[in-house]
Amino acid sequence: MDLALDHLLAAANQVILGKQSQIRLAVCCLLARGHLLIEDIPGVGKTTLSHTLARLFGLEYQRIQFTSDILPADIVGSSVFDAHQQLFSFHPGPIFKQMILADEINRATPKAQSALLEAMEERQVTVEGRTYPLPQPFFVIATQNPAHQIGTFPLPESQVDRFLMRVELGYPSRQAERELLSGQPRHVLIDELPAALLPAQLADLQQAADQVHVSPALLDYLQAILAFSRQSTDFASGLSPRAGLGLLAAAKAWALIDKRKAVLPEDLQAVLPAVAGHRLNVGANDSAAIVAPILKHVPVL
Amino acid sequence: MPFLPSTRLMLFMLGSIGLITLPHAWHIPPVLFSFFTLLLLWRLLSIWQPRYLPNRFGVFLLMLLGIGLLYSQQHSVFGRDAGTSLFVVALGLKLLEIHGRRDVYVIVYLAFIVAVTQFLYEESILMALYILLVCGVLLATLITQNSHTPQTLAALKTSAAIILQSLPLALVLFVLFPRLEAPHWSWLDDDIHAKSGLSNTLEPGSIAELSLSPELVFRVKFDGELPPPAQRYWRGPIYASTDGVSWRAPPVLGRENNPDQPTFSDPSYAYTLMMEPQKQNWVFALEMPTEFGGGLRRNGLYQLITNKNPGDRAEYQISSSPSYNSGGISKTERKENLQLPGKPSDRVVELVKQLQGKQARPELFIGNLLQHFRQENFHYTLSPEAMPDKPIETFLFERRAGFCGHYATAFVYLLRVAEIPARVVGGYQGGQINEVGGFLEIRQADAHAWAEAWLEGRGWVRFDPTAAIAPERIERGVNVDLQIASGAVNFSPVQLDAKTLSWLQRGRQLWQSVDYNWQRWVINYDTVNQKAFLQSLGIDNFVKLGYWLVISVAGIGGVVAWRLLRPNRRRQDPALRLYRQFCAKFAKAGLSIEIGDGPQTVAERAKKLRPDLAEAIERITALYIRLRYQADSEAGDLQVLKKLVARFRV
Repeated sequence: MDLALDHLLAAANQVILGKQSQIRLAVCCLLARGHLLIEDIPGVGKTTLSHTLARLFGLEYQRIQFTSDILPADIVGSSVFDAHQQLFSFHPGPIFKQMILADEINRATPKAQSALLEAMEERQVTVEGRTYPLPQPFFVIATQNPAHQIGTFPLPESQVDRFLMRVELGYPSRQAERELLSGQPRHVLIDELPAALLPAQLADLQQAADQVHVSPALLDYLQAILAFSRQSTDFASGLSPRAGLGLLAAAKAWALIDKRKAVLPEDLQAVLPAVAGHRLNVGANDSAAIVAPILKHVPVL
Repeated sequence: MPFLPSTRLMLFMLGSIGLITLPHAWHIPPVLFSFFTLLLLWRLLSIWQPRYLPNRFGVFLLMLLGIGLLYSQQHSVFGRDAGTSLFVVALGLKLLEIHGRRDVYVIVYLAFIVAVTQFLYEESILMALYILLVCGVLLATLITQNSHTPQTLAALKTSAAIILQSLPLALVLFVLFPRLEAPHWSWLDDDIHAKSGLSNTLEPGSIAELSLSPELVFRVKFDGELPPPAQRYWRGPIYASTDGVSWRAPPVLGRENNPDQPTFSDPSYAYTLMMEPQKQNWVFALEMPTEFGGGLRRNGLYQLITNKNPGDRAEYQISSSPSYNSGGISKTERKENLQLPGKPSDRVVELVKQLQGKQARPELFIGNLLQHFRQENFHYTLSPEAMPDKPIETFLFERRAGFCGHYATAFVYLLRVAEIPARVVGGYQGGQINEVGGFLEIRQADAHAWAEAWLEGRGWVRFDPTAAIAPERIERGVNVDLQIASGAVNFSPVQLDAKTLSWLQRGRQLWQSVDYNWQRWVINYDTVNQKAFLQSLGIDNFVKLGYWLVISVAGIGGVVAWRLLRPNRRRQDPALRLYRQFCAKFAKAGLSIEIGDGPQTVAERAKKLRPDLAEAIERITALYIRLRYQADSEAGDLQVLKKLVARFRV
């Protein structure tokens, strides 16, 4: 099982070059049953990363391209009148898949955004009074353009909070870019990718992540982080209890990827930028800089 | 980089400084206080509008202005008022130049000094509490300045905790540390703020002005029984020479060594008398003082005079005996006490004759005179009509209604016409018993004037004509509350019913009692009292005092430290303690360990610094992680870690 995870990471690194830590965070996010938000300028490989992950996790996936004129019905589906049966029947939308790639989510209007975000939180869709459960597992990988770009509707804090992590990709290094330029086109590579995990294996991994041991000492540290974020004037508002739970789940998954049976302070520190950055400061891009005061001032010992 | 204090810090600081300087509004010249207020408001406004702050040159000009104002008001920087003004103005000016943390500290410490100067003006328990509270806010400013996570309430809590922790220490230092007393002359320049009171001259109506003042004059605590109300005459100044309208004190010089010392017979009353700040250095002892402590002397008029600064509260130990014989009278004294402002008018002479003046024994004449007052429709009133011209005659023959001053002066005048040496005595009569504290409170409203006549074989004898007219004045004393409430004098439009009144009275008595004890035990704790108190504890020399100081300060410090540090130690994990030792060893070897570093981070860095120790570092780190973070630690792990850390050498 551990080998499968190693294989998955190695394969992903073959496709997306020079982004090991981001890939690791993204995998960690999925193992922690969280939704992932990838934010960066167009063309740095956001979509490629999400396609790769979907392929490798072996999930049935659907890409939804968000545009400014997309409607909630385009996402969740709608009821259509069936002339033969004289009945309305529900036609499920693209959201009824295990993995959704919501591309450029902040191009859509808030109404369409909230349709997706509601589904993310509830893991079910309610249309015309009837509730339809979404498949298990259900992941959303959303990509978004930086807020300063033209034609964007930035996600409000309350909705950004639904994503467990936000990952920034950034430009590739010179060497990675050279390999990219001289290698095969990425979409060909993705199409050839075999699934690295069986569905049952994914469930096992998620369960294993849940069972990673958390000591009282580590909870002390986690609570100190939460308390600091709430008291410090560096942040407009502190981390919510949901953020605390997310932080712990992500740290557990991170420890699992590291093949450890207990969470260490370093695990919390590793996932902190991705988990806390977008919750503490929605507008800023540099998550590492946002959480730097926490890492600096909260004592580990 | 320019230093930008946070808005919260500035608000805290300006707020506490405003509160600290506020009571000075009554002490320093209004011009200077307005100048300070202006600077404070300017600074307050500049929190939001920094461009309004004056530049260096502007501050310099303001400083010149400040110096000019200071000089024009005080002409000096020495003395209590001038020094306080200097500090307040300096504080205001300093507010306008905050360029760094250092300036914030300077301002806060300066504000502490200004807080201390309040006690040069007022020593009441309320002021002490106020200053303590304001110092709490000031401390909170310092805490806000130095904390990573500034929170108003948390900062106030911390400062309250600091103050509470330091109170026992302050108490011990207060009791044990040798008291320093300012030399007397240093305060004499400054005016004393006692307002009303008896003065050197008496006009018949002047005491009436005091009759509604509830201002406290002195308090008396008797060691044993209280004298009956009719004997509670508190002797003050003597008025002997008159021009017919006002009465003056005779010169006191040359009377100090009166050959005839008064003789006393029992019983005598011993008591502690605490004077409130006064203008005159008079101490109002019960007639007649026999024994009195240091700092007091009895002049030839049997009045007690203190050599302490009358502007300060002071406590005296006095014994008095109500039965006394002052002995003979000198020629000068006789002449002085028979002095008349010109020839008496015919109707006065007629009246004296009618009452058997000059013919009968003086006692008989005095008895007749008092009888005359009693029978001839004389009235006692708190609001006598003004009698500007020939007040004594007008009072005796026309108005026949007056206050104690009228009766005493008329009485003395008639006695002198009858060639009996007599004089007017000013002072206080009666007093209200404070049931809570068990002491007597004497207020300005108790001011009284009575008469003294010299009789052969008996010396100076007290006669109170007011007692003949209004015995209840002497028996029950003056009840200011009742006088105001009954509407006898239109003083306040509020109608108070009897119940409210008694509540008010009880509340006031309780408060007076607290205040009395504060004065006695805190303010009056001077060198002499301290010496007596310490001797009762067996501390009679400086070496012993030193031991006591060190032991009690160390004891309190130890208790506080133990309370502060104990919970941490109990919570600490033994594995963490060992790991800290390990880190400390590495830190000595030059490894920088931040508080945000986890064990693996530390291990990585340590291995880089000392690759030769890599194995030991890894073992210790692994054990520590297992003990602290993992579920599968074993019983022996702690012992192994202990051994490893103990053996570990960098």
